[in-house]
Amino acid sequence: MVSIDKQRKPPAHPFSKIPAIFMGNLQRSWATVLRMNLKRHWVGYAWAVGAAAACTFVGLVMYPRFDLVNVAMVYLLAVVIIALRFSRGPAIAASVLFVAAFDFVFVPPRGTFTVDDIQYLLTFAIMLSVGLIISRLVKSVRRQAAAQAALEIEAETERIRSTLLASISHDLRTPLAVMAGASSSLAESGERLSAAERHALAKSVFDQAQEMSEHVAKVLQMTRLETGAIKVDRDWASLSEIVGAVLARLGERMAAHRVIVELPDDLPLVRVDATLIEQALGNLLENAAKHTPPATVVRVCAQRRGEEVIVTVQDYSAGLSDRDLERVFAKFHRGSVEGAGAGMGLGLAICRAIVRLHGGQTWAERVPGGGTAFRFTLPLEEAPSAPLELASN
Amino acid sequence: MAEPRPAILIVEDEPEIRRFLRTAFGVEGYRVVESATGRRGSIDAGTHKPDLAIVDLALPDVDGIEVIRRIREWSPMPIIVLSARVQERSKIEALDAGANDYVTKPFGIGELLARVRAALRHAVRSPSGTSILRFGNTVVDLEKRTALRDEEEIRLTPIEFRLLAMLAKQLGMVVTHRHLLTVVWGPTHEKDTHYLRIYMKQLRDKLEIDPVRPRHLLTETGVGYRLVLDE
Repeated sequence: MVSIDKQRKPPAHPFSKIPAIFMGNLQRSWATVLRMNLKRHWVGYAWAVGAAAACTFVGLVMYPRFDLVNVAMVYLLAVVIIALRFSRGPAIAASVLFVAAFDFVFVPPRGTFTVDDIQYLLTFAIMLSVGLIISRLVKSVRRQAAAQAALEIEAETERIRSTLLASISHDLRTPLAVMAGASSSLAESGERLSAAERHALAKSVFDQAQEMSEHVAKVLQMTRLETGAIKVDRDWASLSEIVGAVLARLGERMAAHRVIVELPDDLPLVRVDATLIEQALGNLLENAAKHTPPATVVRVCAQRRGEEVIVTVQDYSAGLSDRDLERVFAKFHRGSVEGAGAGMGLGLAICRAIVRLHGGQTWAERVPGGGTAFRFTLPLEEAPSAPLELASN
Repeated sequence: MAEPRPAILIVEDEPEIRRFLRTAFGVEGYRVVESATGRRGSIDAGTHKPDLAIVDLALPDVDGIEVIRRIREWSPMPIIVLSARVQERSKIEALDAGANDYVTKPFGIGELLARVRAALRHAVRSPSGTSILRFGNTVVDLEKRTALRDEEEIRLTPIEFRLLAMLAKQLGMVVTHRHLLTVVWGPTHEKDTHYLRIYMKQLRDKLEIDPVRPRHLLTETGVGYRLVLDE
C-alpha cells in the first residue's frame, strides 16, 4: 500500500516519506539490528559468553565456602568490565547471560530457572541496571573524547588557515599595492615622466607580478601536496641537468650571490619526478639567497652515499639556532630573525613534502666554519643499461 | 618595407590578454588576427592563413589541443601554446599534438616575442634546418659531420650528431623527450629517457663551456630540450 502511494504521487513534502520509512523499518528492525550488531561487536559478545563461563567456574569454586551474594558480586564485576570494554549490546547480553547462569547454577532450586526467593529478582535487576548504566557512561565519555579530538583538529586547521591567510594577505598585498601605484602613475601621468622613469615603473609592475605569481604557485603547490593531489611522475633524470635548469630558471634571483656547483662526474642518474625535484632544489636555493647577504657564496653539491644521493645547498649565513635547525622545514616557519623579504615560509615545507614523496629525507645542519647546510636525500635505484654505442665509442 | 608584415593569429578568450598581445605585436610590426573561441580560431586559421598561431590551452568551447590538431590537419604553420596550467602533461600533450613551443602564463612579452621570432625563423628555414652550429668557440657542421673547438677537431659519435641535428631542425624551440627518443633511437626506445640524459651530458661536456650551466643545450625540465645558438 505504501509503495502504491509512493508511485502515484511523488513526495510533495519531505515529511510524507517518513511513515513509509518508519513502517518498513518496524518490520525488519529487530532481526536486522541484532544481526548488524552481532556482526560489528562479535568480539564483545564472545567475551560475554566467555565471561559467563569463567564466572560460573569461579562461582562453583567459591560456592561451598562463600555466600551466594559474593558469587553474585563476581558476576557483577564481570558485567562492569564488559560494559567498560565493549558497547551496550554485549553489556546487555552479558547481564542476561550472567543472570541466567547465576539463576540456573546457583539459585535454589539449582538446575532450574525457577526462583524460590523473590530477593534474587532484585539481584537480576541490579545486574542489568549496572550493565546499562556503565555502558551508557562509557559511551558518553567516548563521545566526548571524540568531540574533543575533533575540536583540537579543527583548532589546528584554523590556526594553519589563519596563518596562511595572514601570510597571503601580507605577501600578496605588498606587490598588489606596488602594482596599483606604479601602473596608475603610468596611466595618469605617463606623458610627464621621463622614459627612464616610465621604464622603472613598468619594470616594477612586472617584477611584482612575477613575485606574486610565485607566491600563489607556492600556496597552490603546498595545498596540492597536502591533499595528495600530486602524482609523482618518475623517470630517469640527471641531477646536474636539474641543477642547471634550476639556476637558469632562478636567473636574476640568484644573481646577487656567487653560486658554486660541485657535482662528481660519475654521479648516477636518479629516478624521480624531475619537475618536482627541480622545485625542491629551487626552493632551497631561493631560501639561501633570501637569508644571506649578497655577494656571499651559495654552494650546491651532491654526493653518493651508499644507496642514496645527498643533495646539499649550503650558505654562509650566521648559522641557525638549534631550534631553527629543527623547525626550519616546518610549514610557515619564518626563522627567529625575520627580515622584510622573508616570504611565506612555504618554500622549505614544499621541499620537504616533495622529498618525502620520493622516499627521501630533509634536514638542516650547521657547517663547521660558519653557515648552514640544507640537505635532502634521494634513494638510488639500479641504473638501467647504457645504450650500446657507449661501449663501441 | 617591401617585405610583407607577418600575420599572427591569437586564439585566446581573455580580452585583456588579447589586448596587450595586440599592442605588443603591433608595435613589433606584426599583423594580428584575434579569435576569442577555439572554433572561431580554427576557422580564422583557415581564412586568414596567418604565418604563426598563438593558442591558449584553456579555451571556453573546445580544448586548445583540439585547435592545434585541427590546424595541423592542413597546415605546418608554427604554433605557440599559452599555458596557464602548471602541469607539464598538458604542455607535452600540446607539443605532441603538433605545437612547436609553449610559454607559461604569466609570461613577460620579451619571452613570447623571442619564441615567436625563433618559430618564424624556423618556418623560413624548414625543413632542411641549419647545418652549421656555433657554440661560442665550437663550430659543428652537421652536413660534413665535423666539430671544431678552437680549430681543433672534437669527435662526436653518430648518435650525438643525430641528436644535435634533431634539435637544430627545431632551432630555438623545445623538442620533447619522446620525439627525440623515437627519431634518434626508434619507437621502441620511446621511454628510455636515460639514453637522452647520458647523451645530453656527453654533448654538453664536448660543446658547452660550463656543462652544468649550459648556454646552448638547454633543459626544459619534464618536457624536453631546446637548442639555442648565439644570435
